[in-house]
Amino acid sequence: MTCLRPFTCDDMYKFNNVNLDPLTETYGLSFYMKYLAHWPEYFQVAESPSGDIMGYIMGKAEGIGENWHGHVTALTVSPDFRRLGLAATLMNYLEDVSEKKRCYFVDLFVRVSNKVAINMYKNLGYIVYRTVLEYYSGDPDEDAYDMRKACSRDVNQKSIVPLSHPVRPEDVD
Amino acid sequence: MSRAASNMHVHQDNSVVERRLRPIYDWLDIGNNKKALQECDKVLKKTPNLHCAKALKALTLNRMGKEDESRTILDALIKENPTDDATLQAITLCYREMQELEKICKLYETAVKLDPTNEELHTHLFMSYVRVSDFKSQQQSAMTLYKIKPKNPYYCWAIMSIILQATRGEGSSDPKKRMLLLSLAERMFTKMITDNKIDAEQEVQLYIMILELLEKYEEVLAVMDGPLHTKLQSISIPQMKLKYLKSLNRWNEVNLVCKDILIDSIDRWDIWKDYINSVFELMGTNGVILNDECDDNSDAKGDSELETIDDTPEKAHEFICRIVENGTENGYLLRGPYLARFELCSRLSKKSLCSADLLGETIELFIEYFRKFGHKPCCVFDLRVYLNLLNDAKKAELATRLIKDVGISSTTVPQSEHQMQRHICALQLARLCGSHRNLPADHLKALVTALSLHYQHGYQAYSKNLLPTDLGASDPYALIAAHILYDLAQTQNNSDFIILALMLLDSLLKNSPSNFHAKLLAIRLYHVVGGGICAHEMYNSLDIKHLQLDSLGYVHCARLPTTGLFTLCTNLFDTTLKFFASNYKDSSDHLTFSYKFGSFMKMNEFLDFRERLNNSLHYTAVAIDKIFLSLVECMSLESLYCLSIPPKDHNIDWELLRDNHDLNVYMSWDPERINSPPEDWEETKQLFKQDVLFLKLRNFAVQTVSIIVDISKSTDGTRQKYVDNLRSTVTDWKNLFEQTVAENLAPISEALIPLPLPSRLHGALRVPYLAVFGSMYDLLTTLCGEDTEDASKSTNKVTESLDELTKCLEQNTLKKPNNLLDKRKSMEIAVNCVEVISVASVICIVCNELVKPPHGRKAKKKSSGDSKNRESVIVVADKLKREMNTFCDILQQWTESVTIEDLSQRLEALHLSTSQNIVDNILHSYTIANKEMQLILKTKVKMLSSISR
Repeated sequence: MTCLRPFTCDDMYKFNNVNLDPLTETYGLSFYMKYLAHWPEYFQVAESPSGDIMGYIMGKAEGIGENWHGHVTALTVSPDFRRLGLAATLMNYLEDVSEKKRCYFVDLFVRVSNKVAINMYKNLGYIVYRTVLEYYSGDPDEDAYDMRKACSRDVNQKSIVPLSHPVRPEDVD
Repeated sequence: MSRAASNMHVHQDNSVVERRLRPIYDWLDIGNNKKALQECDKVLKKTPNLHCAKALKALTLNRMGKEDESRTILDALIKENPTDDATLQAITLCYREMQELEKICKLYETAVKLDPTNEELHTHLFMSYVRVSDFKSQQQSAMTLYKIKPKNPYYCWAIMSIILQATRGEGSSDPKKRMLLLSLAERMFTKMITDNKIDAEQEVQLYIMILELLEKYEEVLAVMDGPLHTKLQSISIPQMKLKYLKSLNRWNEVNLVCKDILIDSIDRWDIWKDYINSVFELMGTNGVILNDECDDNSDAKGDSELETIDDTPEKAHEFICRIVENGTENGYLLRGPYLARFELCSRLSKKSLCSADLLGETIELFIEYFRKFGHKPCCVFDLRVYLNLLNDAKKAELATRLIKDVGISSTTVPQSEHQMQRHICALQLARLCGSHRNLPADHLKALVTALSLHYQHGYQAYSKNLLPTDLGASDPYALIAAHILYDLAQTQNNSDFIILALMLLDSLLKNSPSNFHAKLLAIRLYHVVGGGICAHEMYNSLDIKHLQLDSLGYVHCARLPTTGLFTLCTNLFDTTLKFFASNYKDSSDHLTFSYKFGSFMKMNEFLDFRERLNNSLHYTAVAIDKIFLSLVECMSLESLYCLSIPPKDHNIDWELLRDNHDLNVYMSWDPERINSPPEDWEETKQLFKQDVLFLKLRNFAVQTVSIIVDISKSTDGTRQKYVDNLRSTVTDWKNLFEQTVAENLAPISEALIPLPLPSRLHGALRVPYLAVFGSMYDLLTTLCGEDTEDASKSTNKVTESLDELTKCLEQNTLKKPNNLLDKRKSMEIAVNCVEVISVASVICIVCNELVKPPHGRKAKKKSSGDSKNRESVIVVADKLKREMNTFCDILQQWTESVTIEDLSQRLEALHLSTSQNIVDNILHSYTIANKEMQLILKTKVKMLSSISR
């Protein structure tokens, strides 16, 4: 039961029920504003019939040549609205936009410890393209999986041939 | 000629210059201003006229807080008319820091005059106008830019600037002007189309925006059907069309488009609502004819040739049923069509039509929905919206039937996690139906015991292997129990229930340490009993930051000033004010991004958001509280002179103030929640009104202190102007005060959890702020005049008002309540009293300054008037010292006066281990607050001791 609509500035005043969850980061205003200004179509919010924010996705499109791709920057669903297929709806949306923009693939980073999310992405057709060492700073630093799914433009699925070696964060563009 | 030469010179030197300046940038980037300054001086020694080095030095000094030095360098530099980009950028940063955005415009205006074909400089000039929202100049500079380089974006910048003139500039108050401007924008855009220049999606979006503002919806639809639609990649065209079809009342097409979308995505709630709405719009008209008409309209029908228009509730119901039957292909059972029935039912009942024939008994809809989705937490959110369809008797019936349906009696526990979730859902809905209202206290206590047991059982059975970041599945039991305990505390006026609730939440948080609902509730409960330090610890664990400082500021920050915990206040105020100040500076950058990326659709939103942030009620409250706190803590005349009152970068526009609180963050299942979210409750509106009044009154206090600083600093020639200003401001204060008292406003109810605690207005009105300040100001103005007879009269008035103040404190602390609910209120009054007498002491040292024998002047024989004046000030200072010592005695006696009833019996009933910790921590919070207040008073006594014969 979803109403997908573009994320607006005012939603930042209402997203606390989603963002207070410990796995969702609240960023500085400029971060959200940059995405809203640059990729407004990639920033969508799912609203419940009661008007509560159930979750949102933010992303962007970037890269040159065959690296032109959609990227999932943040995807989050409130604890009260989990197991309703909402994450899949939001991901589908982002993939649709990426298709329309003629992207070659969609990618995202996820903590290697976040088994639930990794499984969900696998179910949505993503593969682990490579491991990025110590991508998440913390104590201790944590590795990330760079997961990818090819778009229809990548006919030969060149973008999702996994790398055999892990890379350093500075080698990720 | 000479300009060209100097340009050449710069070019030759560029790499050298760049190498020299590089270290300065590096130091600035990592925030080492000291090193950056050294490097600036080094470069300036070698090349004393290097503009950029000077600009960077100014920037560095600014960041070090040396604004005056920075300004001196800047002013000199501007006279040299710099035009190189790096220098201008550095100067821009300086002005941005100082919030002197107009000067950036001037800077680039000069620069483009000297270098009129420089595209980059013109771009900067355009952006500088964006920062100050000078739409007209934006338009001109964008057109100039377009003439230099005919690029589409520049042309669109000009068009956007015209639109803003129409919607937010002069057109906003003049409909004719607005129309004129919008038509101009349209013509300019049409020219672009005729010239075949349209290239990007953003340009088409801009066009749609213009047409929309002109209410030319047919034309918008034509764009979406015409060749331009290929540019629109990022939106779904059928859904975009819906918006305009609705505006045009083309309900038949709305109906068909919705059906098309719903057949593919049966869970789209917004589309379901549009669909049902279109059915009812069509009901009044003749549906058959519409169907015929529409047969020719092939593009509105889309792919599904077979779909017909649904223009009766019966047909809508049929469609819903069809979707239900087809719609199980997805792994999830989707709620869309089931909830669509409720919407249909609700629309029928709004039209006073019977829904029973079509949908059956309404209560059965609820039961059916609950049976399908009761195991999901979202079920409560979904049904809450529609509980209004039932009258009170039916609600009571529903509550009973739901609990029965779950199959858990008073002696059994859930046999599966699934059943537990259904039980929780039923309990929450029952509470929404009002089944916890009007129950006898014993009954409620038994319910709390049962819920507490369910919580423990659920935790043991289903939540043992949770990650620390997960919320426990049985946590909602404990949360409901805490809510019921809160009800009990309110109806019985007994804080013991709050303590019990806090203990329950404490044990919950040991098991699921990241349950933010429990933390938010605990903060609320700690503030009800005045345990500021405990609330603060809980608040810290939520990691509230950035915009949350505004949206959740009411949770803790706004309550802290009533607790007497001055140290905590200082820190949180500073964090909050820093957020607001720096984001207001940044907000102009966001606007420039919007132009850069062509996201014209977001422009209005960004402008609104900027205003919303800057006109935040919470921001204003904290800004004023911060000054008040500085005054309370002020230790000398010198430090008073250094304070910036009123806050320099915050001009209050009372009419525009807004309540930015996210009250919805609090879970609540109060029946009041059915009709509307707490943001829309009557109490919230009352609270806002009272808070604004409170701030206005409080601002008068701050303003008047600011004026007496001016009086004290002024020389005899200008003094009278300030004295008059003081008199009129006190009169305004008095008028507002009397008006407010006459309104006799009642505090809002404390019964509902999502509502913040009552306004501080009431506590402020009970303390003689105006009487004490007013009498002190009378004395002060008398001292400025010649008439010494008045001085003693004024002294008497001060004495009387201070007696009143002490009486106020005494009366409030006389009672030695065991009830912490009362203690909290007394504490608020006590803090106010301390505030008044502290600031009165500061006013007293200003008075003393006024009667000090002037230095330098030849020791003229003191007139008797002067010495009488001095005598008056000494009398007042002595009185203040005496009263403050009395304050300390009263507070000291008050400290150890709380005893809490033994709660162990009740704890056992809840299966919680006896824990005195929570009570101890709350009492400790009082003790610390008490000490902080006494410390303030003692330092003030010391400060006044310099005033003596």
